[in-house]
Parts: sequence; C-alpha cells; structure tokens
Amino acid sequence: MKEIVVISGKGGTGKTSITASFAYLGGKDVVVADCDVDAADMHLLMEPKKSTAEDFYSGVLAEIDQNLCVKCGKCSEVCRWNAIPCKNDEYTVNPLDCEGCGYCARVCPMEAISMNEQNVGEWFISETRVNNTMIHARLGIGSENSGKLVAHVKNKAKMLALETKKDFIIVDGSPGIGCPVVSSLSGAHFVVLVTEPTVAGLHDLRRVYQLVNKFQIPAGCIINKADLNNEVSDEIKEFLDEEKIVHLADLPYDENFTKAMTLGKTIVEYDKSKLRETLTDTWNEIKRIVM
Amino acid sequence: MKIAFTTQGTEWDSKMDPRFGRAAWILVYDEDTDKFSSIDNSDVAGEAHGAGPRTAQRLFEFQPDVLITGNGPGGNAGTALKEAGIVSYIGAGDMTVKEAFSAFKNNSLKKA
Repeated sequence: MKEIVVISGKGGTGKTSITASFAYLGGKDVVVADCDVDAADMHLLMEPKKSTAEDFYSGVLAEIDQNLCVKCGKCSEVCRWNAIPCKNDEYTVNPLDCEGCGYCARVCPMEAISMNEQNVGEWFISETRVNNTMIHARLGIGSENSGKLVAHVKNKAKMLALETKKDFIIVDGSPGIGCPVVSSLSGAHFVVLVTEPTVAGLHDLRRVYQLVNKFQIPAGCIINKADLNNEVSDEIKEFLDEEKIVHLADLPYDENFTKAMTLGKTIVEYDKSKLRETLTDTWNEIKRIVM
Repeated sequence: MKIAFTTQGTEWDSKMDPRFGRAAWILVYDEDTDKFSSIDNSDVAGEAHGAGPRTAQRLFEFQPDVLITGNGPGGNAGTALKEAGIVSYIGAGDMTVKEAFSAFKNNSLKKA
C-alpha cells in the first residue's frame, strides 16, 4: 500500500481538482483522505455517501466556574489574548479569543478554571460515487484544522486501506507549511506538488518543498496553467531540475477545468481530449514511480 | 550507545511508526546494558498542535544518542533534537524495529 500526498503551498493552483481526477482514475483501488479540512471541498466532486460519522475533539478552552470564582482578576491579567474580560462584575472566557494555553487555570487561586476539550466537528467514512473509500471531516464554525485531525483522518485511511487491501491512499494535503501539512506529509511515499506559473506559485512551491525535502520524500511536480506565463514556467522547471524533482506534467490553461468543477465532475470525466489524456498519463506515471 | 525508535508496538518485531511527533510508542535500546524500554507516547496524539516538540521533550528524559524514525522530525522538533545532541536517522518507516536497527548498524539509513 502506497501513500501519495498532493500539496501545493499556494491555494488556487488546482490541487483538489487534480487530486479528485486521480481518485477517479484509481477507482476502487484507492482510499481518499481529504486532509484539507479548513476548506474541505473535495466532497463537492466526489459526492461521498456517509456511512460512519463520529464527533471529533481537539484542543481545549478555559471555562470559569462562577460558583468558585472570587473575582480576583488574575486570570484576566495573565491572558495574552485578552480573552477574559470582566463584564457586570463577572469574569467570563470569550471562546473565540481563548487559545487554550491554560495560563489562567494555572494562576487561579481557587482552581475555578477548567480546561475542557472541544468538539470541533465530525469525521466520516464514506463511499464516493466513483467507488473510492473516502475519509473526510467537517469542522464547526470557528474551528481550525489541526495536526491531530489530519493524523486521525490519515490513520483511519491507512487502517481501511490495509484492511481492504487497497493499493493506494491519495491524500488531498493541507495548505501552508504548518502543523497540519507536516502531519499530511508524515508517512507519505510520494508527494505530488501542484503549482502554477505565478510569482506566488513558485515562492510557495519553494517553501513547501523545503519541508518535503527535510522529510526526504520523493516528489514530482505538475505545473498547472503552464502556458499562462512561460517565463515563470521556465523558472519553475529550473527549480525542479536543481532539486531533482520529477517534472510530471504541464497542464495548459483550459476552461474545461472550471466547467467540470461547476458541474461537480472531475476533469477526467468532463474533458475528452488533452487534459484527460495528460492527467491519465500522469496518474500512470505516479503509479509506476511508487510501485 | 542508546538508540530510540518511533514504533507502533513494544517488541523487536513491531512495526516502526513513520511519524515522529505522533508516534504511538518510543522504544529505547541501550546497547551497553542490553536493556530495552518502551514509552507510551499515545497521549501526544491528543495534542492539537506541537506534537513534535512534545515528543522531543519526552526523548530528552531518556538521553538517547541516536533517534531512528520514518520521515523525520519537522522543523521545530528537529532544531530541539539537534540542540540536545541527538542524531536523527530517517527512512525506516516501513521496517520493523529489528530491521531498522540492523539497517542503522549497516549504515544504510540517511541522517536527517
């Protein structure tokens, strides 16, 4: 079983559309893990039928027991986020500002403050309309993705893939370079970097590749909308050469990309020519590399 | 020499855990005394953020000379381990602990 993680660094490069196409091409051999939980949107293309749903708890928030509070105000003083204002002679924690550091609970002389685990959303095991098993999650309003949630989604995907003897896990990776993306990369056999020929695209590609390189995971790159700016495309190719990253494919700018998305279809289902051909070849190439 | 492994179980034949921060177990093998100890690291999996530095902190208590893991620690944990003089070797994520140990002895693991 091989784990393939698709990341981009920069948003809007086409990462999820490309990941969904690979999921379509892989069909029943694939377990999909959507780890881009902050703005999960892969379900729009895959129409997962949820079979299992469970609550997910992550992070803690402070809560003050008003019966024990003596209103000394120490908690409010030490709070770096000013999350404990005093209103109507009562100290209460503003849950949107609280970062869960626990300093207030530590200084409270009455031990009136408890740090409580938060229900941040739900995670699901589903079957997609193209016969993948899919693990995904939905966060509540104001909740953020975490390394913990990504690790959870990936571990479930791995367990299911082993149990049902699937060949591949395809991970729609988290954005940026922080905790969730570190967690997305952990355990991966191959990383697909999706970029676009813009200054931000190249900048974020370099940045996220530092992380991939640190983990010494072999990587390949797809340059999407490659013909929009040949100059930056060439710069990207130079970078790939220098770092010995496999140049998997150049995708042209093509409105079928967006048309497929608005119809809720993957590109390989909607497009009948060049895009489909290139993406199919790329998926086969990735399979060849990881097997 | 003391060698730490990130693992999914507590035996020589257990699978390695490719993760560093959220590894299920840490095994420490002391070559000099031939002693083997296991540390349950599952509580770190409950941390929303900063799992790497937490696990690094735990490692310090055992003062290993070498860490063997899968992908390797991330930026923050990596810096902490380096400061503590622990040398990390990676690429053992798909092995058993026993295989990882012999791979290390044969110099076939990469330094992080």
